[in-house]
Amino acid sequence: MSARPLYLDNAATTAVDPAVIAAMTDCLGSDGNFENPSSSHAGGARARQLVEDARERVAALVNAAPNGIVFTSGATESNNLAILGSFDADPRARQHFVTTRIEHHSVLDTAHALQIRDVEVTLLDCDAEGIVTAGQVLDAITDATVLVSIMHVNNEIGVIQDIEAIARTCASRGVRLHVDAAQSAGKIPVDLSGWGVDLCSLTAHKAHGPKGIGALYVAGGVTLAPQLHGGEQERGLRAGTLATHQIVGMGKTFELARPERDGPRLAKLRDMLWRGLGEIDGIRLNGSRDRSAPHILNVCLPGIEGESLRLALADIAVSAGSACASDDPEPSHVLSSLGLSDALAQSSLRLSVGRFTKPADIEWAVERIGAEVARLRALANGAPAWCST
Amino acid sequence: MNYSPEVLQRFDLPQADGVFPDETEGVVRGEAEDRSLGIWVRFDVRVHEGLIRAVRFHLYGCPHAIAAASLICERLEDQPARSLSAIDLQVVADSIDLPVEKYGKLLKIEDALLECWRSLGDSRATSEPGNSRHPGEAKDS
Repeated sequence: MSARPLYLDNAATTAVDPAVIAAMTDCLGSDGNFENPSSSHAGGARARQLVEDARERVAALVNAAPNGIVFTSGATESNNLAILGSFDADPRARQHFVTTRIEHHSVLDTAHALQIRDVEVTLLDCDAEGIVTAGQVLDAITDATVLVSIMHVNNEIGVIQDIEAIARTCASRGVRLHVDAAQSAGKIPVDLSGWGVDLCSLTAHKAHGPKGIGALYVAGGVTLAPQLHGGEQERGLRAGTLATHQIVGMGKTFELARPERDGPRLAKLRDMLWRGLGEIDGIRLNGSRDRSAPHILNVCLPGIEGESLRLALADIAVSAGSACASDDPEPSHVLSSLGLSDALAQSSLRLSVGRFTKPADIEWAVERIGAEVARLRALANGAPAWCST
Repeated sequence: MNYSPEVLQRFDLPQADGVFPDETEGVVRGEAEDRSLGIWVRFDVRVHEGLIRAVRFHLYGCPHAIAAASLICERLEDQPARSLSAIDLQVVADSIDLPVEKYGKLLKIEDALLECWRSLGDSRATSEPGNSRHPGEAKDS
């Protein structure tokens, strides 16, 4: 049996922290808090208290009021609830949605669903580093704009958008702002109340928590139409029996996350990776050097065919483009938006570090990537310019 | 994408990659590319007395394309020069479990080999005017 690949794909998902596993396990067995949090008996009340404790922990990490946290199955559901829920609750006959070309597919595909309903959609372009400005948002807003949705940290290139400035802009026009913070919560400071964000999607599994649990922050006074029906859980916004173990797991995950401690450590590992890979001739950074999340490094290795690159590095778990799109031969929509050719987009790798990544892992990865790039470039020696431009 | 053991082995150790030393005689070159398919390939073929003595390749492309080029190089050695124009692509495809959507890349590899065959003909035609056979073939073949 072959050795487990070195895991440098923490932007796709993360290993669950042992302390989180322990907290979740306590909610599963007959001697634990397995009861339904909606039940009126003592066990139900205990489970309900655990859910509320978790709600407070999640809220604390992103500086939000606990009663604004609505638990969902993850950021994809949160994005759908925020967007579709906003449009369904808005009475205007003519509606407009503003987002960017580099959002996660759970936002872009939902935007497409809105278009089918005759909602006008504006997709903002980013610059060559992946940045979208508050000025672009301001220019796009019309009298019919119901919602602006901008991700905080891009999942492929790690660029950080200036949410504070965008929130000010939206507030100045009285337009609701939704932020997808799936990649940022726990890695960099998130200040939802301070920034004045109306809606924010969160997830546990990107921060060493379990998959299948997330949350939508809904600011006071923001009305949403529920997208699931069949119960009054979560203030009637998300029907379904609350998954105590998942919610407790997310609470513990957010309790353990310390951006002020974890961010610099992750950035140190990322910078070590970039310094090492920077020795490779012609390597390019996709994204922004100055405005980048600490855990994501996206690089382009010109002259290397994408599929061969991925097979050559099969002993390192990385993503080509995004994990959601890695089996898709089409180049990443994010990298294409930066202006990369198809060949360069497919010659790109996203490497992402996490809590369990060690400096020795980075040293080994740098050595392996350098060796395989040299081997594949030698094999393609003499190839025409289109292979590397 | 799943790869057959043959592809994995040839991708890791392509064997016939590279070029001949500059002073090597009897070497012809053929090249083909298709940007939309993401492949560029170049073969250097050393022919002596009508037989292919050795083949080397360079390639930008997917693991299946690398494996196919490696396999073809190996199979061409010690074959008559006309084999350059008679590669059985289906046999190659079957040998490496080539996905059908990648067949176009194999056609590009064939194009590069055909260019070698034509180059061989051109070089012999130039050096041996009046030869009615394909110049790449040995007179006794």
